[in-house]
Amino acid sequence: MLVEGNRRPDGASHILDTFRPGSYDGRTVAVTVQQAAFVVLDAGDRIVGVGPHAESQFGPLVGSVMWDCFPGAEPLFKPYYDQARRSGECIEFVQYYDGYVARVRAAPRTGDELEVSWEQLTRIDTTTLGALSDSLAESLELLDLQERDANRDELRKTLQLIEGGA
Amino acid sequence: MSSPAVDALRHSAPDAYVVLDDLDRITHVSSKLHGELGRWIGHVLWDHLPGARDVYAPTFDEARATGVPVQSVVFYSGRVKRLTAIPGPDGLAVHVERLAELELTSLATLTRSLASIEAALADRETERSDSPAPASLRALP
Repeated sequence: MLVEGNRRPDGASHILDTFRPGSYDGRTVAVTVQQAAFVVLDAGDRIVGVGPHAESQFGPLVGSVMWDCFPGAEPLFKPYYDQARRSGECIEFVQYYDGYVARVRAAPRTGDELEVSWEQLTRIDTTTLGALSDSLAESLELLDLQERDANRDELRKTLQLIEGGA
Repeated sequence: MSSPAVDALRHSAPDAYVVLDDLDRITHVSSKLHGELGRWIGHVLWDHLPGARDVYAPTFDEARATGVPVQSVVFYSGRVKRLTAIPGPDGLAVHVERLAELELTSLATLTRSLASIEAALADRETERSDSPAPASLRALP
């Protein structure tokens, strides 16, 4: 787990790997878990709130409908958001959009509001054919993993149903 | 002073070319590109195009070494481009024509655009086999 430690005198922060023994001294280092960027959407997918880590990109978009700001994104994300609202449960998925693969989490809040947070996993590097090929392979592998995980979840559910019926 | 080749390029493709000195420093930008690249005059091209040197420089080097125009089809920064490099006494005139472009919005658009990228690069191979000496101003748009 990566966390941000206390600031150095030069203003830079220590990034600590808390899974690595000896990477920090727990007595002296105050740590703050890095927060994911998030936005809050109303029932019409209008941006009504922006977390501090998303302010620079989404701050100017408050009041706009998400899909007007990100062409082509609606069919990729909205089904998951609708599912989260319908079920009242948090939905996590990995999605490709605009050159990035991101892990997205849609968490229902009060009313039909939705808190959407995300973590960028890979970026398609278009600089050269070699970079494109490597980054595309990495992205597709991530999406395949997500697909496999989803299938595994389905399998688990089916198994639970069978076990419940036995 | 300009060479006939550079003049020919400037007349046939007046909308998009730059002229480089021997150190790949930009010495001139055509009027069409001035708004986009004018501020780069005096700068070395590679300082603004990370990773482009390995892709573009062989074409530039060949044109300078042979003294004749050289064309190549390359992929850089999400686009397949036809490069035309024409050596002259006032520098190397470089014209770039975009042939195909990646569309990154969704996996569907990416897949479709990759097909057009592949086709454009396949044409490059065909051009190579059809024309052992591709350096010709006749190929300019």
